[in-house]
Amino acid sequence: MAEYVEAGHAVNQASLSGIVGSAPPVAQNVTYERILQARSEPQNWLTYYGAYDGQRYSPLDQINTENVKQLAPAWVFQSGSVGLHAGPSTYSFEAAPIVVDGVMYVAGWDGWVWALDARTGQELWRYKHAIPYDTSLCCGNVNRGVAVAKGKVFVVTLNAHVIALDAETGERVWDSTYGDVRAGESATLAPLVVKNLVIVGSSGGEFGVRGHLDAFDLDTGRHVWRTYTVPKPGEPGSETWPAEGKAWERGGGNCWVTGTYDPELNLMYWGTGNPSPDFDGGVREGDNLYTDSVIAVNPDNGEIRWHYQYNPHDLWDYDSTMENILFDLDGRKLLAHFNKNGYFFVLDRTNGELVRVAPFVDRITWGEIDANGKVTPEVYPKNEGEPVKFWPGPAGGKEWTHAAYSPRTQLFYVPVQDVGAEVTLRRREFRESIPYWGAAVVVDSEEMAGSVSAFDPSTGEEVWRWRNDLPMCASVLATGGDLVFAGEPTGEFNAFNDRTGELLWQFQTGSGHHSSPTTYSVDGRQYIAVPVGWGAWVEGFLPGMLGAPSGSALVVFALPES
Amino acid sequence: MATATEDLSAMVREIGLDRQNKATLGRLLAHGPLRRAEEGPDGRMRARVRIPPDELIWDPSILVLPHAGDLDVELVNDDENTHCALLPSNGDEQFIWLPNHSRGTASLNLDGPGYYWFSSPIGNDEGRGLIGAIVVLGDVPKGARLDRPPQPQP
Repeated sequence: MAEYVEAGHAVNQASLSGIVGSAPPVAQNVTYERILQARSEPQNWLTYYGAYDGQRYSPLDQINTENVKQLAPAWVFQSGSVGLHAGPSTYSFEAAPIVVDGVMYVAGWDGWVWALDARTGQELWRYKHAIPYDTSLCCGNVNRGVAVAKGKVFVVTLNAHVIALDAETGERVWDSTYGDVRAGESATLAPLVVKNLVIVGSSGGEFGVRGHLDAFDLDTGRHVWRTYTVPKPGEPGSETWPAEGKAWERGGGNCWVTGTYDPELNLMYWGTGNPSPDFDGGVREGDNLYTDSVIAVNPDNGEIRWHYQYNPHDLWDYDSTMENILFDLDGRKLLAHFNKNGYFFVLDRTNGELVRVAPFVDRITWGEIDANGKVTPEVYPKNEGEPVKFWPGPAGGKEWTHAAYSPRTQLFYVPVQDVGAEVTLRRREFRESIPYWGAAVVVDSEEMAGSVSAFDPSTGEEVWRWRNDLPMCASVLATGGDLVFAGEPTGEFNAFNDRTGELLWQFQTGSGHHSSPTTYSVDGRQYIAVPVGWGAWVEGFLPGMLGAPSGSALVVFALPES
Repeated sequence: MATATEDLSAMVREIGLDRQNKATLGRLLAHGPLRRAEEGPDGRMRARVRIPPDELIWDPSILVLPHAGDLDVELVNDDENTHCALLPSNGDEQFIWLPNHSRGTASLNLDGPGYYWFSSPIGNDEGRGLIGAIVVLGDVPKGARLDRPPQPQP
């Protein structure tokens, strides 16, 4: 037998592409102090929401109501999907692109991270984390983005690691495991950098895990603190769980969406997810703290300073992980939150006191919340095998995708979903790693509606509405050009007049939107960046579009260069 | 007709799902041999994976690692056609051409329990059977697990 031909050693797949291999050292001096003042450098989008307050507002005004009709694609980045990956039918491009001085950092599905030239779209480096094909994913193969600080890019992986990459090369600097994939835990959110910490939450509320927030040292990856969002017996809040039994051990309450932060109060505001099992309240009598709440957390030690529970004893899968947007009104430090339950809450963010609550979606039949915040459930899964129909369905009047707030108009802009569901209580025994819903669920595929709606937080009243035949399932972006941007499930990317709701511009991107657009400028030219790629938990938030085209493009728009 | 799990191998053989161009056009995925990787004294693992002639299958099709970590793989193509390998690893997927009767190597890092796919992304090698699984046994580090008593398992 002849000697074998020498085939050599396997190489990085990226080396067989046009990749540059490195990025300029722009992230080296992204400090906590710069992130604190993020809005003072509007050419950049330095943190997940653009700034710690979560407003998703940029003062950039080159693109405005007068010239937005000229907006056109400047470049497109595409990765595609190669081979098999976890949840192959459910991948979706959900990130909010981060931009630092001309370099864009963005995460994709299944462990991808890319650094791109923000002016041309050229791929500078890539990182790929190997994700087990059998990872438990309740809601699709997704990731919502990265954080950048001190020369590193931070990202979580679906198999519940948080990793730091060298921002110049994409090489892994540190890697810490913070969740148990055998228990059904995963991770999907964009990390939050506060001071010298990287703070992350876990996913897995549909598998009966116990939610937690974790903080890691930014430089070394050392674990600094963990805070559980479901207390053990004897801890504060444990009186809201059955005294006997194991409900707290599987109580859910995951923080799977990035929190906001008030540096003056030194408080982070994290939303928590549904209790487990989602629909079977009989095995977890009580309010089930701190599920479906906003928790105000001291970033230095993870202490929960106060909480407000939006859905005591949730029976509808009304996660409350969605953003808590910080704003000031009449000298008060407030936060605003649009809950899955269809109500818009304004709280005093110093102490959690309710200031105002008002409905923001047309059909709310699960129950009622009065002006004092008193919750009265009316329609919920009660008897084994008996179907009940309620609005909003489990995806909520607004999903995880984010609202925006413009300090120019002092209005909130909200992606609204008006979709019902039929839920039938089906009690089941808990088994670790197996979905633990306690019900059969069918979300409506007909008689749906949606809108981008503007709300005045001083009254709770709707100011305008742009109505759509389908629910709106993507984050909204507000800019200093008096514009509001929002994508549709059918692929259109829209610009609205932020004072009237008039549709001013539209571009068909070819696949549905379920991401968070951002804006930035390079060399004085403003860009709007939107990841596009329909997928994820479509069966839950819009099953009527389960057959819509998939995709995985990052489309970046700008005005023509004169 | 339903079959019990213990009869599965016999049924697969009887129907011809474990051969090329018998029941199906190719060979059902991951229906080749299963082997364990060897572990060195430093915890680094190694394995040999070959492509036998005319089977369009990895041998082993299922490679079992005792735990997460680093794996050195020797890849051998004993077939009379050109193939390649695309393998999972943290950092980037690893690619190597495997011409007829060739031998190469790859170094992989896999950091947690579960199973990962590898393949030969050329022609329709993947559809014909050249997709394999690397199974990583073990648990996540103790510090990453939930603070709760042991739970009932499926």
